Amino acid sequence: MRKMVSMRVGAAPLCAYGQAGCQVPTLAEIFDRVIQQSSRMHGISSDLHSEFEQYFFPSKNLIGTERKCHTYAILTPGDKENAQRVGREQLTGVILKLLEAWGDPLSQFYQSMSQGQNQDFNYYSSEKALEISDMVHELRDGVEKMADKMKLLGVLGNTVGYISPETLVPSSAFSYYKRGYLNSVDHHDLLYCFRRDSNKVRNYLRILKCTTLPGLDC
Amino acid sequence: MKEVMEEAVLLFLLLVIYTPDAQGTRYSPPGKPELTRCRSPEKETFTCWWKPGSDGGLPTTHALYYRKENSDTIYECSDYHTAGENSCFFNKNDTSIWVNYNITVVASNALGSTFSDPVDIDVVYIVKPNPPEKVTVTVMELKEWPFLRVSWEPPHKADTRSGWITLIYELRVKLEGDDEWEMHLAGQQKLFNIFSLRSGGTYHVQVRCKPDHGFWSEWSSTSHIEIPDYLHREKSMWILIAVFSAFIFLILTWSLHMSSHRSLKHCILPPVPGPKIKGFDKQLLKNGKSEDLLRVLVVSDFPPTTPSNYEDMLVEYLEVYVPQEQEVLLEESKDLHDSCLKFEGSTSDNDSGRVSCDSHTLLMDKCGEAKEEGRQTDQEDSTTEAEAQGQQKDWDQDTLMYANGDILSPEKSSGRVKTWPSVFSPLPQYTLSLPDQTSSLEMAKQHCYSDSLFCPGSTSSYLTHLGNNDNETLGPGSWEICLSNRQPYSHIPQMQTCQQVRSHSDVNISTIARKQEPAGLPLPFFRPTAYVEVQRFDEEDMVVLQSIVSDHGFHEGFPQMLQQEDYSKVKGVDSNNMLLLQTEAMKEDGDGTTPHKPTAHIHTVVSTQDEMAQPASGYVDTATIFTLPTY
Repeated sequence: MRKMVSMRVGAAPLCAYGQAGCQVPTLAEIFDRVIQQSSRMHGISSDLHSEFEQYFFPSKNLIGTERKCHTYAILTPGDKENAQRVGREQLTGVILKLLEAWGDPLSQFYQSMSQGQNQDFNYYSSEKALEISDMVHELRDGVEKMADKMKLLGVLGNTVGYISPETLVPSSAFSYYKRGYLNSVDHHDLLYCFRRDSNKVRNYLRILKCTTLPGLDC
Repeated sequence: MKEVMEEAVLLFLLLVIYTPDAQGTRYSPPGKPELTRCRSPEKETFTCWWKPGSDGGLPTTHALYYRKENSDTIYECSDYHTAGENSCFFNKNDTSIWVNYNITVVASNALGSTFSDPVDIDVVYIVKPNPPEKVTVTVMELKEWPFLRVSWEPPHKADTRSGWITLIYELRVKLEGDDEWEMHLAGQQKLFNIFSLRSGGTYHVQVRCKPDHGFWSEWSSTSHIEIPDYLHREKSMWILIAVFSAFIFLILTWSLHMSSHRSLKHCILPPVPGPKIKGFDKQLLKNGKSEDLLRVLVVSDFPPTTPSNYEDMLVEYLEVYVPQEQEVLLEESKDLHDSCLKFEGSTSDNDSGRVSCDSHTLLMDKCGEAKEEGRQTDQEDSTTEAEAQGQQKDWDQDTLMYANGDILSPEKSSGRVKTWPSVFSPLPQYTLSLPDQTSSLEMAKQHCYSDSLFCPGSTSSYLTHLGNNDNETLGPGSWEICLSNRQPYSHIPQMQTCQQVRSHSDVNISTIARKQEPAGLPLPFFRPTAYVEVQRFDEEDMVVLQSIVSDHGFHEGFPQMLQQEDYSKVKGVDSNNMLLLQTEAMKEDGDGTTPHKPTAHIHTVVSTQDEMAQPASGYVDTATIFTLPTY
């Protein structure tokens, strides 16, 4: 069961440069939006993962024993001390790398689902797949805007840039999750990995927010 | 020898151990332990508990081994005591988040060891925080009504400040002695207000928390709070009782008072006016001859498409009063050109046309008339003046004139004829003028206070500019009377038939309002224009109207009766507010015209002529009721 903390999100377009017709959001607003988006994304991925576990009786979860997630090369802080020690720039960089790494596999995931490779699959599950696929791209854009705003305000150094994770991520991330002699992709592993990575993204964003703008929410 | 001795001892020992004795003890390897749960209170450390299996009769020890994701190193739990028995505590150094732990518990005794089933956990999904701390409940007073304010703090171990953990809270309240709790989800806030409390009761409050993906904590320890008694609450109840009993007392007094009067029944249940149907004869009904009765009622040529039933369709409202002097119409026309609605402005408003919407007589605004009347104030005879004043007094009384085809002809030579076609007549102060069509409509609308069908928008008469009419070629002393179609049930405005009344030179015509069809509105029915000529004013100030052949040639079907009969005498007003006319000249009985409040019945004729109005005012009413075609 996904419990969401609902937050009011305005419908005004997000424009960081004050173009005519849109309100320039504050950093707090941007933070709220990206955190809410990441919460939602994590929730949907959790739902999908548990659905897979129910319906597909997966074989032993290879992740953690024999397999890794395709983002294993992206070094992420594994506990609170490390996350706080790493600093905002690196944390933002990690977030961006993770989001970038998942854009492609999720699109392929959705395609494979909607193509009916899994005939028994729930219609709503394929909708969720589309949703998280879109969300990952939106969130990436949102985090970039957040980083720009933070740079504008001087709370973020300029070392954060767009780093292509291609060196870190296997070229065909989606096929990374193939297993078995049939070379079929095990979506269960993919969803397990994505659920975890989306949780990381959400947590790192919250740490960024509470260290940059300590307030009532923290 | 020694070897034999050792073997014997071993054999003996084996026998002792393995031979079942009389009591049935058996030694076996330990049973399989089972990992029951692992929990982390703050996502930085965690603890796992297991349930041991049978010990096999021998002292059994347990050990926990774990392996981290993608590493082959096996670690053993370093702390078996912090969390109690059969537990393993992982401290901060040993805890990694987002890492899969593969945990196994081994139970071993002298005879062997048994492995439990391995369990995979990720610390981030096993978080169960401690209950919230420092729960404080206070009674706050807000404008005499108390409410509870509950505040708390997150458990001290959970680091929400840095954003590492996000907690949401929930609290529950109940009255002492109740079984059911009232739950409230508080989100991320650490403050909550509870309203609608019972005075004098004791409340129990508890709070708990949960991370976004994790388990609910235990409920905090109960906080008790007592709501003090509030006197004012009872006071308000007494006030309510007092008001209620006073109300009942008033009702009783009133009903007692009213019961002593005959009119109680009338007060509560006023009589409903009955329908007045033209041609309806009660006697016929009583006689039971329904055919006769109905025959009378039947209006031929229904629905009216031709002007043949002209007389039935047209209603002409005429109010005639005789001024002292004659006025030239043209002068008035010029005056009326600056059409305006002067309601309060008309000082001596001798216009006697007081009609209301109920009686569906429409009053024309008379602007020029006011001026004209102003001029004539001194000159008018007593009757007309009195009449006007009298009418002015009873502004809310309707003066309704129905002029059927049988139109009276003004007789008084010096009378001033005021005619106004059926117009919405809200205000008494109307002076007959030529208002702007729209403005008159507006004014009419504003003042049309009845719910009758004749209010603007529902019926059909409208005022138009006289000045703009191309029929300016009215000779002096001629005026137009517009007949309105009284179509109570039709919401389509009808074109008003305008009748031009030609007055003789000795007739003073005050105003003219000519009605046209309202601009832009459909004209489903085309009414011919008939003209009525004022024949004469007789000595009794009666206006005898005579129809004349109009230029427009719409006279077909115009009733010939016009020329022959003149219903110029008001016989009286009966109890149903009907003005009874008769053909023979008769002095109008002033008493007969008692002012009556117009009823909203469409067929009701209201005459509010008081005794002043008297003979000059031939308030002609086709008291002969007639039916309007209903659609």
